[in-house]
Amino acid sequence: MTPAIRVEHLTRRFGAFTAVRDVSFHVEKGEIFGYLGANGAGKSTTIRMLCGLLAPSEGDAVVAGHRVSREPEAIKWRIGYMSQKFSLYRDLGARENLEFYGGAYGLGGRRLRRRIAEVVELTDLAEVRDVPTGELPGGIRQRVALANAILHEPEIVFLDEPTAGVDPVSRRAFWRLIRHMAEAGTTVFVTTHYMDEAEYCARIGLMVAGRLAALDTPAALKRRHAPGTTWHVEAPAILRHLAALRRLPGVVEATAFGRGAHVRVAEGAPTGEAELRAALAAAGVPPTLVEPVAPTLEDVFLAVASADEQAAGTAAAWEDPA
Amino acid sequence: MSAALVRLQRLLIRVGALAEKETWHLVRDPRALIMGLGVPVVLLLLFGFGVRFDIADIPLVVVDYEQSARSRDLVRAFSANGEFDLVGELADAEAVEPAFRRGRAAIGLVIPPDFSDRLARGEPSPVQLLVDGADATSARQAMGKAEVMAQAAALRFVGAGDLAQAPPVDPHSWIRFNPTSASALYLVPGLTGLILAMMGVMLTALAVAREWEWGSMEQLFATPVGRLEIVLGKLLPYLVLAVLQVLLVLAVGAWVFEVPVRGSLPLLALSSLLFMASMLGQGLLISVVARNQMLASQVATVSSMLPTMLLSGFLFPIENMPWPLRAAAAVVPGRYYITTLRGVLLRGNGFAELWDQQVPLLAFTLAMVLLSTARFKRRLA
Amino acid sequence: MNAPAAIEVRGLARAFGEVRAVDGVDFAIREGELYGLVGADGAGKTTTVRLLAGLLDPDGGEARVLGLDPRDPRVREQVGLMPQQYSLYGDLSVGENLHFFGRLFCIPRAEYRRRVDRLLAITRLGPFLDRRASALSGGMYKKLALAAALLHEPRVLLLDEPTNGVDPVSRRELWELLYEFVGEGMAVLVCTPYMDEAERCHRVGMMNAGRILDEGAPAELVARFPHETFTVEGGAGELDAAARARLHPVLEAAPEVVAASPAGPTLRVVVRRGAAGALAGRLAPLGARLAPTRPEFEDLYLARMAAGGAA
Repeated sequence: MTPAIRVEHLTRRFGAFTAVRDVSFHVEKGEIFGYLGANGAGKSTTIRMLCGLLAPSEGDAVVAGHRVSREPEAIKWRIGYMSQKFSLYRDLGARENLEFYGGAYGLGGRRLRRRIAEVVELTDLAEVRDVPTGELPGGIRQRVALANAILHEPEIVFLDEPTAGVDPVSRRAFWRLIRHMAEAGTTVFVTTHYMDEAEYCARIGLMVAGRLAALDTPAALKRRHAPGTTWHVEAPAILRHLAALRRLPGVVEATAFGRGAHVRVAEGAPTGEAELRAALAAAGVPPTLVEPVAPTLEDVFLAVASADEQAAGTAAAWEDPA
Repeated sequence: MSAALVRLQRLLIRVGALAEKETWHLVRDPRALIMGLGVPVVLLLLFGFGVRFDIADIPLVVVDYEQSARSRDLVRAFSANGEFDLVGELADAEAVEPAFRRGRAAIGLVIPPDFSDRLARGEPSPVQLLVDGADATSARQAMGKAEVMAQAAALRFVGAGDLAQAPPVDPHSWIRFNPTSASALYLVPGLTGLILAMMGVMLTALAVAREWEWGSMEQLFATPVGRLEIVLGKLLPYLVLAVLQVLLVLAVGAWVFEVPVRGSLPLLALSSLLFMASMLGQGLLISVVARNQMLASQVATVSSMLPTMLLSGFLFPIENMPWPLRAAAAVVPGRYYITTLRGVLLRGNGFAELWDQQVPLLAFTLAMVLLSTARFKRRLA
Repeated sequence: MNAPAAIEVRGLARAFGEVRAVDGVDFAIREGELYGLVGADGAGKTTTVRLLAGLLDPDGGEARVLGLDPRDPRVREQVGLMPQQYSLYGDLSVGENLHFFGRLFCIPRAEYRRRVDRLLAITRLGPFLDRRASALSGGMYKKLALAAALLHEPRVLLLDEPTNGVDPVSRRELWELLYEFVGEGMAVLVCTPYMDEAERCHRVGMMNAGRILDEGAPAELVARFPHETFTVEGGAGELDAAARARLHPVLEAAPEVVAASPAGPTLRVVVRRGAAGALAGRLAPLGARLAPTRPEFEDLYLARMAAGGAA
């Protein structure tokens, strides 16, 4: 099967700054592909190139059978794109926005009415379809934007941080939609800053400073980039005592996690539950809980990002905006 | 240091910070600078030249009942310097009106059969000027020019300098302060007032509205900065820009349109400063109320252009207006500024004649600053 | 924990036309306390913050910040605000933005230098001093906004969704910063739609439709949780994608289930207390079983919202 997206040595420079550097990967048809990275790591720049909105400086990509370098216009008809910023008319309702954009894609008459009915049903917008989108809560507004992106039945949808600032209930509803779309055969290319969402992706690409630093399934990424044992530790004001934990032998990482902290200890290091408890007790905060946990993608993200930072030798390289 | 002094010192620091920040915005957004400095000059050139072209090449028809050397001299004097364009000679004065109707001519010169005889006898000679009055402004200007020209030509015929004798051509009026009939000279002071009014109001109308649109007003309101401080901090940098604007416009007036500066320069400077402050104040008030740039710029244009054009004495003399309009004109700052400009530029007046025009400008400025501050609500909704 | 209340809110209300954005809210925040307001977009978090910053007039009830009405000019010297949307000057550089706000607070030059140096060091914004604010990435912009809000060393800090669109690394750094300031005695109110952030607060108010539904320390709220939490496992522990897709609708339809959601390679369910047996019976024929797990704050929120958000 030919992949839905094939990226070959894609590079984009802005002046002296390289936003995307020699990135290659492919995305299968019907796959949910997660594209992660810090602010300014090159995620949006990649998406804009794959959508035919920005020409690559070097390399190329084939999206839905068309080369972005040669046929960017042909691509636009076969993909849906939901940008980070809400870009629909705020004074129009969902239905009116859909009618307008449907017209822009050449849909009309009965076919447009049928598609609008379908996407309104799919995104559960029937009750609010005539409310001006500017008056809708963020979570619902994002569903309107999604409905708009899939109106013309694209083969691939690109979603750029679709759940930023959205509460857990709405986020779940949104991800349910994404799964439905993928099950129906649509390829989904999605970026997010929320690692719990990244778990729902079939495969994940992790961008650091313009380069693809890791690419695999969530499970494989955890095995590879968060080896050793991860401990969940809870103690009063634990965030002020992370330094004490970091000083223990073999501790690779100690970071805030939920109401406690995650401490990752290298394979075979002499630091276990007893040592962690003792260190915190010595710091005056005996822990209320120390237990081993499965590493999360957030642990992976932090491990990859910090390793790459050290490799690049630039402490703040990942902060450069695209 | 007393508490009052500390408060004053802090006010100055904050106004300074705001003014400096506003200057950064100005310097970094060339559009604002272009609007502030370029547009007024372009407008003055457009209006100034536009008016000039209107009164050149006026199509002229002649009805010469005498057909003498003198009468032909007069016709030549009219067509010689390009202001009138001789488009034809008619046999009968009755034919002039049809020529107007067909748009062939805008002015007709009728020379009586006894033109030379009367001149020779030293009697006023009733040369007749027929003017197409359809365009009142052009007609008045054309008539003025034609009269002056006929006068001048006739004077040459009878010997210049013999002013004791009655004018040779029946005069309607002498045009005062503008003997060469250069219309730019007439118009530049009024135009200057109008353009500066429009630009001044526009500059500040956008300044506060912009902060609402940017969302920065929320952060600004969360600091101890006071409303008066915001108003003053916005006003000061634009006042500097406005002064540059005045200098530029007056320089273009003097250089391109040869408008002299005959009167007091310090008065001109003071009056310009007061006028610009009043217009910037009006813009601020609009900005404070409108909260978005689109609405603010529309209100700014209408509220500055219409009163300054119609109620300042720029186009229509205020003395002839019915009393409600006269009352309205009393609160149009442009009126006092244009009066000052005409006085200083054309008549050579100074403080003695014009101080009373400055008082209303000062009053208007203070009223605008106070109103802006009062209407400025430190709330987001 | 007997520090005086830095923020006190009683029956606070504010409507916009028909919409009762904040509808009778009570809470108090002590000095040195980090208080989280969590809820969906439209729950009334932003309106609450704006009322506390004196940017809106309340319709009812009252708010006291350091004992004063929030609209009192004296309060502004003591309160730092970081609004949700962009509120700094995009055409000014990082340094110019900070300098401007420093002068609005009339901070003496030497003192300003000391504070800016410290803030730049902990936000790691030093190398970007000359970059225009509009050219900063989301995470860097948020750090700049935080620095601007902290410049006058406020005793009370109001943060409206400070980590929206911020990557995990920057989010962590932002939170570590917050702890540092809270440790120095600052009272912090932070609004967030993210439950992992809510868990990092000392106390949390769960907000919905203008009201606070529940309040307390995260651990306390979790301890009070009336339901049980399980992960759904297959034969080999984890579930494959097909199994997850098959089981999810079953869970959502089951009357014992309060909330069900995917959690990495498994599914997570909140089950009514005592009803786990019945649910296990339902799942057994489908080749799945329940494994008990500790409830997390997000389970709490989801259960609460699934119950219709009623108090």
